[in-house]
Amino acid sequence: MRYRAGVILCLMLLPSFAKGQDWVVPEERRGRLSTFPFNDDTRKEGERLYMINCHSCHGDPGKNNYIVLQPSPGDPATEKIQKNSDGEIFHKVSVGRGQMPSFRSVLTTEEIWKVVSYIRSFNRDYVQKVMQVITSSAYPGAVISMKLAYDEAAKLVSVMASATSETGTVPVTGAGVRLLARRYFGLMQVDEEKTTDNNGTALFAIPESLPGDTAGNISFSAQFTDEQVFGSVSKDTILNAGAVTIPVSLTAKRAMWNTVRKAPVWVILAYGLGVLAVWGFIFLVMFRLRDIFTVGTELRERLQTSPGNQEPPKNQQI
Amino acid sequence: MDKKEEGSRSNDLDRVIENSRRDFLRKITLAGAVTVTGGAAIYSGHRFEKAKHREGYVKVLTEDNRLVEIPVEQMRDFKPDLKMLQSRGREGIPGRKWVMVIDLSKCRNARKCVEACQSAHHLRPYEYHINTLVMQESVNTPAFFMPKPCQHCDNPPCVSVCPVDATFKRQDGVVLIDNERCIGCRFCMAACPYSARIFHWQEPSQHEADSEKEYNVELNVPHKKGTITKCLFSADRLREGMLPYCVSACPNGVFYFGDENEDAVTNGTTKETVRFSELIEKNGGYRLMPELGTQPRVYYLPPKNRIFEFEEGEKREYKEEKA
Amino acid sequence: MDEIRFNTPTEKGKIDSLASDILKNVRINSGFLLWMGFLFTLLAACLAAYVIQLRNGLGVTGLRDFTSWGMYIANFVFFVATSLCGMLISSVLGLIGYKWVKPISRIAEIIAIAFAAVAGLVIISDMGRPDRLPYVFLFGRVQSPILWDVTVVTTYFVLSLLLWFFPMIPDLAIAKDRLEGRPKFLVKAYEILSFRWMHHEVQYRLLGQAVRILLILIIPTAFAIHTVTSWLFAVTPRTGWDSTIFGPYFISGAFVSGTAAVIIAMYFFRVNYRLEKYLNAQTFERMGRVLVLVAIVYFYFNLNEFLVPGYKLKTGDAIHLRELFTGHYALMFWGIQLLGLVIPIILLLFRQMRRPLPMLLISFFVLIGSWFKRYIIVVPAQAHPNLPIQGVPVEWVVYRPTLIETAVTVASIVLVLIIITILAKLFPVVPIWEMAEEESGKDKITQ
Repeated sequence: MRYRAGVILCLMLLPSFAKGQDWVVPEERRGRLSTFPFNDDTRKEGERLYMINCHSCHGDPGKNNYIVLQPSPGDPATEKIQKNSDGEIFHKVSVGRGQMPSFRSVLTTEEIWKVVSYIRSFNRDYVQKVMQVITSSAYPGAVISMKLAYDEAAKLVSVMASATSETGTVPVTGAGVRLLARRYFGLMQVDEEKTTDNNGTALFAIPESLPGDTAGNISFSAQFTDEQVFGSVSKDTILNAGAVTIPVSLTAKRAMWNTVRKAPVWVILAYGLGVLAVWGFIFLVMFRLRDIFTVGTELRERLQTSPGNQEPPKNQQI
Repeated sequence: MDKKEEGSRSNDLDRVIENSRRDFLRKITLAGAVTVTGGAAIYSGHRFEKAKHREGYVKVLTEDNRLVEIPVEQMRDFKPDLKMLQSRGREGIPGRKWVMVIDLSKCRNARKCVEACQSAHHLRPYEYHINTLVMQESVNTPAFFMPKPCQHCDNPPCVSVCPVDATFKRQDGVVLIDNERCIGCRFCMAACPYSARIFHWQEPSQHEADSEKEYNVELNVPHKKGTITKCLFSADRLREGMLPYCVSACPNGVFYFGDENEDAVTNGTTKETVRFSELIEKNGGYRLMPELGTQPRVYYLPPKNRIFEFEEGEKREYKEEKA
Repeated sequence: MDEIRFNTPTEKGKIDSLASDILKNVRINSGFLLWMGFLFTLLAACLAAYVIQLRNGLGVTGLRDFTSWGMYIANFVFFVATSLCGMLISSVLGLIGYKWVKPISRIAEIIAIAFAAVAGLVIISDMGRPDRLPYVFLFGRVQSPILWDVTVVTTYFVLSLLLWFFPMIPDLAIAKDRLEGRPKFLVKAYEILSFRWMHHEVQYRLLGQAVRILLILIIPTAFAIHTVTSWLFAVTPRTGWDSTIFGPYFISGAFVSGTAAVIIAMYFFRVNYRLEKYLNAQTFERMGRVLVLVAIVYFYFNLNEFLVPGYKLKTGDAIHLRELFTGHYALMFWGIQLLGLVIPIILLLFRQMRRPLPMLLISFFVLIGSWFKRYIIVVPAQAHPNLPIQGVPVEWVVYRPTLIETAVTVASIVLVLIIITILAKLFPVVPIWEMAEEESGKDKITQ
């Protein structure tokens, strides 16, 4: 995680990495080859992907307009990068290191190969070697499957991998397996990468606080880490392994910021009563005006109906 | 154990899939754009992924949460009308509590987040829903870049002061602005301590091209002169199961986005999903101006262990477009 | 029951002399028409600016995203403040029992009506979407101080109008028979508005009740109108506005500008309307004392508002205060504090300065200072937000009002003058019967 502090999208690192070490790709990965031949279509798609994911650091291949960083991302068209084997480039894109992020979760295997295909188009001397068959498959001809189960007492999810062929079913042993929990925007790795034992079983510890749905269910996915060997096998299962999570609406409570219907009661009361009181009095005052008018009318009528009785009051002349 | 599996909704089929998020996302988009004859509309397209394919049929989730199968040829493109856009936009996505984490140790001021946001929301280069700021707290503390979207506070001062319910907080935490309602008093701008809001002082850019469009409160396009606009957490994308525009556009892995209820955030660059609580705890996460009690839904990771030099770069100059 | 007031010959004589003094100004003469012609021409020119703003948006003002409230809001606050004089003069001083406020109470109410009415319009001129004004009533959020403000400004306007009109009913009845040579519509209006006033005991009792209710009612309303206006700022977490004393601070400031406005109006009516007998030097002297008192109170709140944050110098406060004391707004700030507050206080402590003409000049300084004071409360607090202003055009950083918004602001002031002119020209500006009662020692209304 220390190196995750690295920042920029780099397709490739120069050997002068921060620690001064070369970026050594594990032996078994170097020879990895694409399962499909590179052609104009793959290059075109590769270019599109490159522009989205790699261009911001590595620039346009052949133009040396990669951004200045230490270590330098480098131009993919140069020898420094082109001298890598296909497998090495694939590995570096996939895993990442330091400032170069991992693209394993961003690009599919096929897409990474298409990016490689695009990079190789800047190398005239390059001749592609295509992988003919999955030569290293541990269980040739067999259908590999996985079964997930949850042990509530031990808080463990077990992944049992088996290979079924005409000769019967055998456990898949020694295989790297990852357990992933489905979240809204993608799969989240739970516990560490595990290797299947002699029974083909890998056990994953489930943190108690891992939220499930309202019933505590979580949709899990198990994957082999090395699809080269075991194929792209994945298994989705919903298990009752998570913490029960009852979502609370953020707008449930009355608050100053909530809608008028959910205003604090005291605000509604204070405002409502205040307005009612003041306007009540205003209307009361208006009624006084009506009363003044009524009294005036009465008074005038009385003066008019009894004109001889007394002389008109002096104020009439005022 | 077996019982539990029976109770689950999983189809018990081993599937060999390509580990393809892109395909997955494509399906979501497709599902989000169709409806059942008879008007039932799809709300949660992502669940469609779970449906088993059958030739000539497609499974869709109806508004009342039923999974139904309809012939492909009966599918119609669904174009939500203003009323529906408004009601679903105000309601939000049930069960979610969106949260963003911004890792300052990775931000190099590439401004891709800004550009993606401005292009998605039809803004001018100097109109920001998100901006990357050059920050320095004091003389001897380090300078760093800080992407600053709306903080989508749980106690939003801007929403409190709105006189007409034009800006509002949804159940999933997003603070939106409805420019069909906004009267342009700018009280919310005055109240926001993060300067997250902008106002359309003149005709918005692209207003002519956008004038025919149905107003989507979750995208805030088309904009209207004399109203407020702000960061929306890309509410339109969240509905489709996609990360916000800025989050996916970042080349440097700065942004994480996810659902606090799931305790998971997904990095926009590497698409890696991690525990939200762990990320915050291990990296000393914090929120801006906690003393104000606004309770933002945006968290920051401090700019430590940076392996690049801080370079401010060229000063950008902006000229106001005159109408 | 049948007791009619003003029925002795001496009282009638008083009424006659008062009425002839006061009503001689109630006429539509060439001066009035010329003045109104001037005001309306000016208003039309300024409204052209508002039309431009309506068409092109608020971008024609100097306002931008960071300083998004400017001259309009400052002007609004000033108007609300000045309108508070109605409450101060009629209610507070009236209810205490000061008789000398009688001749000026109606002037104070006229000013209150004019400023309160136009304050509402000023707010509309600041709205980005004035066409959506009805939304405030349709979708009003009871939590928003704007809704409170709309409510109290409306209420205060209505109360001021009633408090101007009610005590005038007997005057209208007195005047309606003495309007020879005035336009017919005016006579007719007096006839209708006098509500069959017969100077009858019962009517006096009813009127007295109504006025007393209004006098009491207007006190909390007036406090509310200005406290709520201060809350437009104080409820935000913004440095410079985030203050707990903003309510009383604004109210004491409102007393200052309101009193100054009344003194200016008093002087104008004294000279132009030849009302020296009623708006006499003694009244000015007393208003001078009122002004110095409220100005000292206001000075005290200023001291609190600046000294306390200046003592602690919290980050935001330090920046804000530096801008005010020595920075971009220093000239304006010290100009307001010295010319508009401190020096007037010192001068007004001397009796010679409380004569009409010096009072007029001092009040002008105080009133103009009050306007700029509102500007300096509203604008600088926005110039330095918590997070830096970056990546925007340079002209967005510092707010400079444009000609257009200045013109719209002038329009609002012109509108105030128009309302004051109409009310003061078509209706008696000094209460006739109250003065008569005063002289004959009777006082029905405030007893």
